[in-house]
Amino acid sequence: MMRAPSLSRVWRVPARLIVLFGLLLNPFLVSALDVPPLTGRVVDLARVLSIQDTEHLSDQLKAHEEKTGNQVAVLILPSLEGEPLEAYSHRVATTWKLGQKGTDNGVLLLVALKERKLRIEVGYGLEGTLTDLRSARIIRNEIVPRFKAGDIPGGVRAGTEAILNTIEGTYQAADDAVPRPEGATSALQYVVIGIVVGFLAGLILSQGLRRARALLGAVLSFMVAQAASLVWGVAAAGVTAVLLWVVLSAAGGRQRRRRADDWSWYSSGGGGWSGGSSDGGFSGGGGDFGGGGASGDW
Amino acid sequence: MGRGLMIVVGVLMSASLWGCGYNDLQGLDEDTKAAWSEVVNQYQRRADLIPNLVATVKGYAAHEKETLEGVVEARAKATAIQITPETLKDPVAFEQFQKVQAGLSSALGRLIAVAENYPNLKADQNFRDLQSQLEGTENRIAVARKRYIDRVAEFNKMVRYFPTNLTAKFMLHMEEKPNFTVADEKAVAKPPEVKFN
Repeated sequence: MMRAPSLSRVWRVPARLIVLFGLLLNPFLVSALDVPPLTGRVVDLARVLSIQDTEHLSDQLKAHEEKTGNQVAVLILPSLEGEPLEAYSHRVATTWKLGQKGTDNGVLLLVALKERKLRIEVGYGLEGTLTDLRSARIIRNEIVPRFKAGDIPGGVRAGTEAILNTIEGTYQAADDAVPRPEGATSALQYVVIGIVVGFLAGLILSQGLRRARALLGAVLSFMVAQAASLVWGVAAAGVTAVLLWVVLSAAGGRQRRRRADDWSWYSSGGGGWSGGSSDGGFSGGGGDFGGGGASGDW
Repeated sequence: MGRGLMIVVGVLMSASLWGCGYNDLQGLDEDTKAAWSEVVNQYQRRADLIPNLVATVKGYAAHEKETLEGVVEARAKATAIQITPETLKDPVAFEQFQKVQAGLSSALGRLIAVAENYPNLKADQNFRDLQSQLEGTENRIAVARKRYIDRVAEFNKMVRYFPTNLTAKFMLHMEEKPNFTVADEKAVAKPPEVKFN
């Protein structure tokens, strides 16, 4: 029979590689290529808005969300790079998940300067108030005349104002509390649960039992999580349990220093999982979009 | 090493066993039905807009009889066919549904093109509103269709992959569902050109 430490040494490098690949493939970290990160309520990649404009708009949108729960965001692009406006706008809105989960009360105002095109993308929940018709009129009457006159910031301000006025008070948050972005939290919860399950399984089964059983224990926890179909939890449980098994196997019969090293490596890996889903104060609440809204050009 | 190898083989074997996919298949089946309802819903919405649109165009361009009648006829054909989620399994009926909807799309495209020749019509507030609603609906149809395509692709994969194909075939008696064809998808990705000018 094989000596345990050498077996674990054989396993360690592949295990680390697997974890690294897992992190690289994590969609939280690697989002769809063309959708810019949601850095705030106003994402001005073309840099046409002044800092004051951006701040003022963001504050306005934030106040509106606190009051009504509706999430409105603005994206200004230098160019669509050949992407069809409607498809791209829908992709951005669904990737950012604007609006609350369940009520789908998000709106995206997208402006592409080079193509001179713009679109108001409306979430399912607001289609009744901010109809295609009203969106088209906002574009036609408020935004396009200003854009035609070369006043991009003015058009964006007026358009945003009109959107907010239209949807004002259509959705009331349950309390006065700021609505929590549920989508991100539940995915994160699964990961945390998975890590805990995997941690316990790996820890218990590695202590004083044979390594073969520890591995089976890890697989077992993996299967339990799978049965509950917590996709992220599965990944986290599997990775944690196997990792812990590897770490503890390696640590058993070695010096303390080695163990400390492995622990710090592990915990920094764990940090990467949860770090990906937070983005500086503003994140989509999990709202969905069905293609409502209107497009225009100038 | 023999022991280590056995463990690995054991893990792989159990890995292939736990995914019989019964729940996944049932869930995906429901998902495709829901996605299909949305597609039908949006096509219905488009059909509902047409009488108003036709009436408005008639006010300005009554002698474009052929085009107007073409739209009315295509609409009648399209609304005559309703596919419920249960009859979705029938590729022939599905094909038929696609055909009549595509027919309505092209009839509408012709109507909009004709409208371009009537400046008074183009300036009419009612017509402009209807146009933006039509445009919005075409976009919703595109989104609903894309969602349906994705769901069906997922479902069909499960139905064909081993070992879930065994569950699908012998336990649930599920078959692959028909999907929108690529050529058709291209036509829809380019909605009838509707412009405000």
